[in-house]
Amino acid sequence: METGLLEKRAPVRPPTDLDRCMERYQQADPEAPATLINALSPALLRFFRGQSASREQADDLLQETWMRIHRVRHTYRPGEPVLPWVYAIARRVRVDGYRRTRRVAIHETAMEVLPESPRRAEGRSSLPDFETLIAALPETQREVITMLKVGGLTLEEVARATSSTVGAVKQKAHRAYDKLRTLLQLRIEGLPQEEEHELR
Amino acid sequence: MNCDELERIFLECGQPAAQPLPADADEHAVTCLACKQLLKAFRLPSAAETISSTKLTRLAATLAADLLPTQPLAPMGCYLMAFAGAFASIVTLGVYGGGTGSFSAMSPMQTVSILCLLSGSASLLAWSLVLQMVPGSRHRVRPELLSAAVIAFLSISVIVLFQFRSEPRFWHRGWTCIQAGLPFALLAAAPFWLLLRRGAIVSPRATGATAGLLAGLTGTSVLEVHCADLDLLHVLVSHFGLAALGALGGFVVGGAGEVFGRYMCYRSDRHRMVNERA
Repeated sequence: METGLLEKRAPVRPPTDLDRCMERYQQADPEAPATLINALSPALLRFFRGQSASREQADDLLQETWMRIHRVRHTYRPGEPVLPWVYAIARRVRVDGYRRTRRVAIHETAMEVLPESPRRAEGRSSLPDFETLIAALPETQREVITMLKVGGLTLEEVARATSSTVGAVKQKAHRAYDKLRTLLQLRIEGLPQEEEHELR
Repeated sequence: MNCDELERIFLECGQPAAQPLPADADEHAVTCLACKQLLKAFRLPSAAETISSTKLTRLAATLAADLLPTQPLAPMGCYLMAFAGAFASIVTLGVYGGGTGSFSAMSPMQTVSILCLLSGSASLLAWSLVLQMVPGSRHRVRPELLSAAVIAFLSISVIVLFQFRSEPRFWHRGWTCIQAGLPFALLAAAPFWLLLRRGAIVSPRATGATAGLLAGLTGTSVLEVHCADLDLLHVLVSHFGLAALGALGGFVVGGAGEVFGRYMCYRSDRHRMVNERA
């Protein structure tokens, strides 16, 4: 069972520029929204892309996330880390977006077959990139890995963003890492000798 | 260093992919091809993450357009006091109206235990609600697990504290108790909802279940002080069943709120699309 009662408290980062910027945002500093948006949007976009959203959907989700952050900015507590707060909201937006898309998809009828979107050429010798690699993971593990490695959140912050415990996050991250390594190992074993040598 | 140690460092550093790992981690990556490729995949920037600066500037301008200073939420202790105050006031109101019939029927041990259990559970749930009002709060136990654990713990405690007695007209007596406790549960739900509205709820169903359980416990507390029927089944089904019913009701209301919110969003999206086309 996921219980954090016996866990050691994970180290908490000292307040960062982003945390202070969020405080300024609450005080209506006109520069603060732009600073926050520029600093966090690339990682947020990648967070949405990592959860199997198309680029267009990810853009919409990003915009919706900022609108929601704007509406509920009073709920940020000064002195607390801003990243878990932002990612908890982004997570909610993603879930809502996913359900809304599904609802629209049910009511839509395809008029014609759309051309396949051009995929990045992945030859036999190339190994997968980040997005392709994490697509093989279950959703919860993908989410944890993306937050850790793309968003730059600590284990403690991911636990906060997902309303979970550090132990549970560690377990998910460990399973994800194990799975990815096994996946890569299998791919490498399937490569011809000279290509494997090339990779080394 | 081996693969497991590299994994530990890799996962615990929590840094963005672009930042370097310690030197011995890189040394291991030289000998282990799978680890090397994995680290490489995490370090490489993705082409998809670039966003046009015009888009970001426009977004920032939209947010800055109606930017007003906001008052951050009051300290957590204030909200905890507010939840606890609402709970205590409504229980007092119920006890004032209904009386303390059960105190003469229960043993001192049963009285103290049941009061401690109810107040302890209510405090835990109120604290969880305060945390759920702020996204990204640190939960020691997942909110949905907490509600289930409180129901399970209370049920076990009741089984330990009370005994079976063959009571005539079980359902009739049970229904009478539920009817007596339900208005207090509904009355408690109103201030809880008003308090929760001030926060930002990211998991409406879990929050609904927690708030519903706390509201249900308000009714249960009134019944526990008022009702002198100490039959185990009666207490479990009619008194604590009300709390479980509250949790279920809260879960349903939370879910309905979620669906309604999405529907409104969907409608506004459609409205915007129609306007854009026009």
